[in-house]
Amino acid sequence: MMSAIDYALLIPIIPIVAFPVILFIGQMFNGMPSWRKAWKEGGTIAVVVLGVVLGLSLSLISGYIGAVSGWDAGNANGDVSAHSATESNDDAVSANVGEYDSWINFHITDGDNLISESFGFGIYLDHASVMLLFVASFLCLMIGIFSLGYMNTDEINLDRNHRFYAEFLLFSAGMFGMVLADDFLWLFIFWEIMGLCSYLLIGFYYDKPSAAYAAKKAFLTTRVGDVFLFIGLLMMWNLFNSLEFATVWSDAAIAQVVADGNQGQLHLALGMMFIGAVGKSAQFPLHVWLPDAMEGPTPVSALIHAATMVNAGLYLVVRMIPFFANDQLAGDLSTLALTIAWIGGFTAVFAALIAFVQKDIKKVLAYSTMSQLAYIFTGLGAAAWLLNNGHTTAGLFAFGASLFHLFNHAMAKGMLFMASGSVIHEMHHAHHKINHSHGDHDDGHHEEDHFDAQDMTNMGGLAGKMPITATAMAVGSMSIIGIPLIGGFWSKEGIIASTWKAALTDGGFLLFGPALLLLIGAGMTGFYMSRMWFMTFAGKANTPVADEVVEDTPFIPIPLVILTFMTLGAIVLASMHFIGWASEGFGHLSLDIVSGLVHELKHAFLPGGDDSVSSILFLVTMLTIFLSMIVGPFTAMALYGGRLDAYKAKPWLQWLIRLSHKVNSRSHFDNTAWAESSLAEALDKRLYIDDFYDNICEKWIVVPFANICAWFDRRVIDGAVKGIEYGSQETSTYIRSLTTGSARDYIMMAVLGIFAIFLLIWGVA
Amino acid sequence: MGAHQNANFRMGEREMILITGFFAIIAILTYMFPSFAETNSDGQIDWITMPLVGFPIIASGVLMAFASMATRRRKRNIEMPIKLASLFFSLFMLAITTSLFFGILESINWDFSTFNSYELEFSYAWNTTLGVNWHVGMDALSFSMVWLTTLLLPIVMITTWEEKAGWYHHPLILMMGGALIGVFVSLDLFMFYVFWELTLIPMFFLILKWGGSERRYAAQKFFIYTFTASVIMLLGIITLYFLNDGSFDITELTRSSQAASDRGDVWLGANMQNALFLMFLLGFLVKLPAVPFHTWLPDAHVQAPTSGSMLLAGVMLKMGGYGLFRFCVSMFPDALVNFQWLLLTIGLVSLVYGSLVCLGQKNLKKMVAYSSVSHMGVITLGIATMEPLGFTAAIFMMFAHGIISPMLFAVCGSFKHHYHTLEIGAMRGLARHSPFLGVFMMFSWMASLGLPLLAGFVAEIAVLIAFWKAFGWWVLLPGLTLAITAAYYLWSMQRTIFEGGLEGELPESLHGESPVDISRWEGSGMMIMALLIVLFGILPWIVFDMMSGYSLAVFTGILGFGGV
Repeated sequence: MMSAIDYALLIPIIPIVAFPVILFIGQMFNGMPSWRKAWKEGGTIAVVVLGVVLGLSLSLISGYIGAVSGWDAGNANGDVSAHSATESNDDAVSANVGEYDSWINFHITDGDNLISESFGFGIYLDHASVMLLFVASFLCLMIGIFSLGYMNTDEINLDRNHRFYAEFLLFSAGMFGMVLADDFLWLFIFWEIMGLCSYLLIGFYYDKPSAAYAAKKAFLTTRVGDVFLFIGLLMMWNLFNSLEFATVWSDAAIAQVVADGNQGQLHLALGMMFIGAVGKSAQFPLHVWLPDAMEGPTPVSALIHAATMVNAGLYLVVRMIPFFANDQLAGDLSTLALTIAWIGGFTAVFAALIAFVQKDIKKVLAYSTMSQLAYIFTGLGAAAWLLNNGHTTAGLFAFGASLFHLFNHAMAKGMLFMASGSVIHEMHHAHHKINHSHGDHDDGHHEEDHFDAQDMTNMGGLAGKMPITATAMAVGSMSIIGIPLIGGFWSKEGIIASTWKAALTDGGFLLFGPALLLLIGAGMTGFYMSRMWFMTFAGKANTPVADEVVEDTPFIPIPLVILTFMTLGAIVLASMHFIGWASEGFGHLSLDIVSGLVHELKHAFLPGGDDSVSSILFLVTMLTIFLSMIVGPFTAMALYGGRLDAYKAKPWLQWLIRLSHKVNSRSHFDNTAWAESSLAEALDKRLYIDDFYDNICEKWIVVPFANICAWFDRRVIDGAVKGIEYGSQETSTYIRSLTTGSARDYIMMAVLGIFAIFLLIWGVA
Repeated sequence: MGAHQNANFRMGEREMILITGFFAIIAILTYMFPSFAETNSDGQIDWITMPLVGFPIIASGVLMAFASMATRRRKRNIEMPIKLASLFFSLFMLAITTSLFFGILESINWDFSTFNSYELEFSYAWNTTLGVNWHVGMDALSFSMVWLTTLLLPIVMITTWEEKAGWYHHPLILMMGGALIGVFVSLDLFMFYVFWELTLIPMFFLILKWGGSERRYAAQKFFIYTFTASVIMLLGIITLYFLNDGSFDITELTRSSQAASDRGDVWLGANMQNALFLMFLLGFLVKLPAVPFHTWLPDAHVQAPTSGSMLLAGVMLKMGGYGLFRFCVSMFPDALVNFQWLLLTIGLVSLVYGSLVCLGQKNLKKMVAYSSVSHMGVITLGIATMEPLGFTAAIFMMFAHGIISPMLFAVCGSFKHHYHTLEIGAMRGLARHSPFLGVFMMFSWMASLGLPLLAGFVAEIAVLIAFWKAFGWWVLLPGLTLAITAAYYLWSMQRTIFEGGLEGELPESLHGESPVDISRWEGSGMMIMALLIVLFGILPWIVFDMMSGYSLAVFTGILGFGGV
């Protein structure tokens, strides 16, 4: 029998081992027909490995829920006050699955003493990590299946797919390891592994200069954040002499920190770590890498933006929440909480603004990712603030809502990226087909260079031709927008309400900013997501290529269908009281779905309760729904809606197309003026922040400074050495010239020498 | 020799058998030596004197004598047996050190933490009037360096298997190994100095014979620069000798230093100790090298052949770090405390300035050389922290860098070999032309920039924890370096491995020829190094524990802390 820790360790280890195996086998069998067909150039291995990992994860998760968290058949309304934050901490400690001691052992001084310390490796499970483990392993499998269709049917990937699958597995292993790790050190280690893999995968088409640039940018930008995270870890280690979750969260350890008056240090350490999260989750100002990361193949985008990498930053903040929740630190960490909320709120609107003008379908999704992650950050910030200021119940609700949004966003965004990949793939194929039928015309060749299969202005009217993709995209967009009852609605509404609640609490007025920004952002989300859908799927085909699109690539529809139902099924999770469960404050998952749903609906749509601010919250919710469901989408319809020409969409999409056509034909929006405005141009240029980094920081500061250093080294330091060389050579040449070989000179010198010695002796005497 | 000129050239096979047999006999005889020798007080057999130091030097001398007697044509015939013999001997040395590590030959627990105590300690009187003894022994510090050396020797030979004039080349590497091990095992200052200078000779010839176009200048600069610094160190050694009633014995000197500290005195008086500390320090800093004494290194590296660079960066630089621990830390603790600020300054400057200079380099090998300067700053910093963990980190850095940097230079060497250029940006799309070289380049670059689960990261986190403990917010500077290091490595990769479209862009230096990927020999050497880097990155405790024990011993020994 394997112990639980070994069992859990298999989850990251299997894909890590598969990484060199696929690379090696791929290098050996590259180009062989069976390797391409049956083995899918390593894809088969990857999918099997990911399937096994998902199975392992599911059994680990069910074991965990059975043992620690438990199911609750009754008590659907989740007695909110039943569990306090400290109790949940005890729960968490008991979930420490196992630990291998002494990865490294060392000695260090502690005041006047020498102490012996070590870093170990262990597995730690709590509700957040279990949820994220499920998200990661499930989505990785989905993306793996998707890749079988997407990667292997594209000529350009031929004979290098094994590299993709190998790196893909390493990437997912990084995520699994990070989620399972029981201390901040190993979290950081796997975090960096993911950084490496993102570098490799974004630069998958390494021969393209833009991909090479994007890969470098992603690695360096996140590295800047990582440095701060690293320093934060050092500070934290110095405070606790440990980085293990169970130790640093414990009341005793925090009591020691408080007794030493080191709350400020802890605050700073957490702040430094938060910068790392900002880098990894692409929040302002370290967001620049994420849109460029679209240079990788689409499955990579899905992987980075949904399943793994960006969630890592959120997960880090989630791991910081217990500090905020500890009542010994009450009020000490408010500044950081406010910072988190503000950065989130700002990025939410900022990214949504840029998403308004993007023409590339993947770029829209990229900015949407930034914006949605910002929602989660704001939610976590609000949760942190509430918890830190003693509003445990509201704080835990905000925390749970953020986690739930993480879940919903991951599912929906994974699906959206795969759907966009499907669109791009079919566009690409249709383009090839047309070119092929045209023969070797020069025109065709010319077009090939300029045709952009990702440009939404080339699409249009695809709803009839790609029913599965269109449905998936519609459901995913609705989930992101927060259309009532679908997917992200439950969590997004929770985040916005919680932030408002925090803002309305005593002393929380500084949170009004993020709260207001989130509200505005909700409407903007409604606009840009609808814009993307209608530009792509509604109206008439804008190019002949879009007319030829057929949805016939194998494997691609499978994950789309599964994820569509997964997203729609969020309602079940919501009514199972997922929010309460995830935050570990409200107890168990309830199986009493019906009454749970009623409870949730009442919460969302009915004013009342004992809360003094609940009527305002009700208004906020209604306003959110109004903005995100009416204002945003209808504006988009007015601009981009339209009837399909030849094809007919599926009945569940037809009403949407018709509605958009009606709105479009009855309204007469003219947005050319604003589309040509300088603001639109600035947005198109990403508000010049990338240019700023590239020019000011890189070209004008770092590189010249480095060149000056190199010059200094060559000329001054080495110049001094060369000067000594030269000087000694000259001296020796001169001295050599004294050896004339003439006896007269030597006698003369000897006399002079004697005279000098005599003078010296005389002088000393 | 002339008589055999007319003989059939299939003689080569016979010669091969003859020479191999000859060396097999030498090998057996030499390895019999320890078993005949007396055992020391711990009942251990002398595995150091002949097997690890004497033998490689003697054998390489004999091999080279053989080669020099042969005619040019015959040289080619005996090239393979000589190379095989060198490889065989180096593997034998590796077998011995590895068995010593795992306690197969002697039951030694290298984790011990007693200050100034050595395993396999042997002392033979040599020159009694001068008081010079052949005194050898190893503790965890020297053992980890000896192990590193013996690990590297076969790797270097394999990687540069196809180097021209292999009949001199491989024996020289073997000799280099013997001299380096001699430095690490000597417990007698006189012998230490002899070996310290002896290492210069094979390296000088490696650079001079196999080096680049300006090898003459580089070899001389290398020799004179390090020699001058060593002479100042020699001055220190002689002063120490006369101040201690004519003793060169390191154990004795350390003991009297410790005794003085235990009494609460400053050994030899504060001024004298400071002066001696600085004299030794200069010798070691030049070797390390630390800014501003580093400019010999880029020149030497750029001109040196791959094997020379690998040994230079892999082990020779570590002599500086070794010396710092053995003398500056162990013997002059009071001066160390006085000059902590100096070490901190030099370490920080080396680290930050070195990495910035890297960013401004246009030559791949020069960039890697400066990255060594930057990484060696970690060693100075680790010592400057005056924490056991800092010491451990410094030693682990020496070990990890000892595996990573040879791989960096192997990659650079292959690049130069197959593309005839070292200019960054002269080409694009290396990954398309030479996928294996591209992979190894990326791997070693990543290892060097401190990617977790590779060896360098362990040293990094250890030194920074100690650094934060000792100096607090100064940690921002090493932190900045982490980012700069990533920047220069990634930037150089973008301009070599990546880009270039489907065809790639070849450098002009190829003159239109199509490049070839690395040979099997180069590939195997790099593969072994890569595996070692992963091994010590994932399982650092293999060596970390014994280094930790040593650091604890030094720390408690010199600073008078009680045990844990």
